[in-house]
Amino acid sequence: MKFVHTSDAALTFEQWQAARDGASGPVALQITNDFDVEQLAGELSRFSRIELVFPKWVDGRAYSQARLLRARLRFQGELRAVGEVLVDMLPLLARTGFTAVQLRAGESEAAARQALDFFPGHYQGDTAEHRPWFARAAA
Amino acid sequence: MYAYTDFDRNFVRARAAQFRNQLERNLAGTLSDDEFRPLRLQNGWYVQRHAPMLRVAVPYGELHSRQLRQLAHIAREHDRGYGHFTTRQNLQFNWIPLVDSADVMDLLADVDMHGIQTSGNCIRNITSDALAGIAPDEVVDPRPYAEILRQWSTLHPEFAFLPRKFKIAITGAAEDRAAIAWHDIGLQLVKNEAGAVGFRVLVGGGMGRTPVIAQEINAFVPWQQILVYIEAIVRVYNQFGRRDNMYKARIKILVKAEGQAFFDAVNTEFGRILTLDEGGREHIIPEAELARVAAHFVLPKGLQAETPRDIFEHAAPAYRRWLERNVHTHRLSGYRAVTLSLKRSGVAPGDATHEEMDAAADLADRFSHGELRVSHDQNLVLPWVREADLPALYEAAKVNRFATANIGLLTDMIACPGGDFCALANARSIPVAQAITERFDDLDALWDIGDIDLHISGCINSCGHHHSGHIGILGVDKDGSEWYQVTLGGADGSTLSGAAAPGKVIGPSFAADEVPDVIEAVIDTYRSARQSGERFIDTVRRIGIEPFKGPANAQRTLTSNKEGSPA
Repeated sequence: MKFVHTSDAALTFEQWQAARDGASGPVALQITNDFDVEQLAGELSRFSRIELVFPKWVDGRAYSQARLLRARLRFQGELRAVGEVLVDMLPLLARTGFTAVQLRAGESEAAARQALDFFPGHYQGDTAEHRPWFARAAA
Repeated sequence: MYAYTDFDRNFVRARAAQFRNQLERNLAGTLSDDEFRPLRLQNGWYVQRHAPMLRVAVPYGELHSRQLRQLAHIAREHDRGYGHFTTRQNLQFNWIPLVDSADVMDLLADVDMHGIQTSGNCIRNITSDALAGIAPDEVVDPRPYAEILRQWSTLHPEFAFLPRKFKIAITGAAEDRAAIAWHDIGLQLVKNEAGAVGFRVLVGGGMGRTPVIAQEINAFVPWQQILVYIEAIVRVYNQFGRRDNMYKARIKILVKAEGQAFFDAVNTEFGRILTLDEGGREHIIPEAELARVAAHFVLPKGLQAETPRDIFEHAAPAYRRWLERNVHTHRLSGYRAVTLSLKRSGVAPGDATHEEMDAAADLADRFSHGELRVSHDQNLVLPWVREADLPALYEAAKVNRFATANIGLLTDMIACPGGDFCALANARSIPVAQAITERFDDLDALWDIGDIDLHISGCINSCGHHHSGHIGILGVDKDGSEWYQVTLGGADGSTLSGAAAPGKVIGPSFAADEVPDVIEAVIDTYRSARQSGERFIDTVRRIGIEPFKGPANAQRTLTSNKEGSPA
């Protein structure tokens, strides 16, 4: 997991729509958590980074967006969590396909790293390990 | 019953360590109370009226005597000596200081227990039929599937912060003893014409201020695909469930608003997971995994069918009543399931002291291979009792007041902890439950009234399932005082109750002191109106609620029957 400390420039989907024909090179995109990510199928290779937003940390929609971007749409670039991103979200972010986080101001990076280390494994498969525990145990 | 593997055990230990870290950060001031709240909730820790409340998960209601003794120990050492069994088959403690909470999680982990997802906006502890695996009317034993679902739903990374709480119930019997139509997802194991096992899937049920009965979204999902199907449902809900208003955030509102469009979205998503997603077929359950888990749910060691006996032969009247109400038929010849009633006068429904928990554990060891079940009706069940042992069990159960022969009767009521404990409640439940219990303390009268579901909730959150009671009592707040709305004709979906349905209100709210009179008037109306052998719910269905209104409203001494009185 990459920890970033400042906001980087990213286009909204509307800005991307206006700019896509003239754009050259990889682009960073930020989408809201009610956006249907399957709309991006077919042009994902044009994004180096997609930022998914947590307007409140208890609003879990971006976890599903991330999972779909990775598992269904095979997005290969950086997936960054921005907004109200707290230490204790790290295990969930790591398992749904996020590769970078911008923690909310004041959150401890050390505590966030520690939060990733509690569990020896998980029951269900995720974007990092597709197989559930029962499949791994049987292998 | 399921025995933890090393993986399971290490997992629960890790969860306890994670919680301790969160608690320490909270106590040190680096994790604010507001941000600690959702984290502790997902471990079962609420902050209630007097102290934090801890809800301990009892997965699908199965409990071992060793675990019950540890719960007794926690009650004794960390609480004020008692706990409360809930309608969702869990156990709640009411008085544990938050600073002790991490130590208590370690004590639970010592006996393979935890509070994972017993609260919070996530997939909650999965409930099932208290007679799973022993009921003669069972088509498929739901416990292996319930355990597989438990594992799949535990700390699911995508579904930890849903719009609202999410409850799944599963049954495998002809009779629905798990009220599945009242759940966000209701699962009924069935066999199709070819004899293959699958799930009839219901979605969008729920209580609260908008009671909704779940609808069938799929008549047959092959058991191998059930995790994928549920993933599709929960993903659609996570994306489209309302988050702007917590009272409209349950999946029932989404299902009601979208109707067929919701069903289509789920079925499309299901297909897309299986055909498009990387790893999308990994959660198809292999035969070997079902077999591995099912191997835990075989008959206890040394137990075998015996020659059935006439258990009523020479039975004295009091013993006969206990046999009739508290002893249930069993799929295994020569065996019975026995309910230990936690409904007795002077005690809140579902409460048990630490002495009683220890005593129940002893009874389980002596008579039921160490196994117990927590029932949806807030009693304990011994699942493996030899018919030959019934007289001895009866005598032993009497000593601890577990032998009240009232299962299914008026005093076997469901009640939430209410305003005595719960910070959400508008009104107290326990005094009302006790007043009714005292009013109907004559066992002959109770028997004459017969089968009836009386459910009491202290607020519209409906933890006491008032919507599904044949008689429902709901605590409401008006100008800072307690009032009680009475409904008739609700049903949980059992054969006795009929198709799941919410009850209908019989008039403006009553004062607490009027409630026992109102219930008595309702019961008297039934007794004079009933036809031979007709049960309460059937009379209500036949004559409607109108004939009950006059006698009930005539009991008002403190409230007015006019429009504009508290409702």
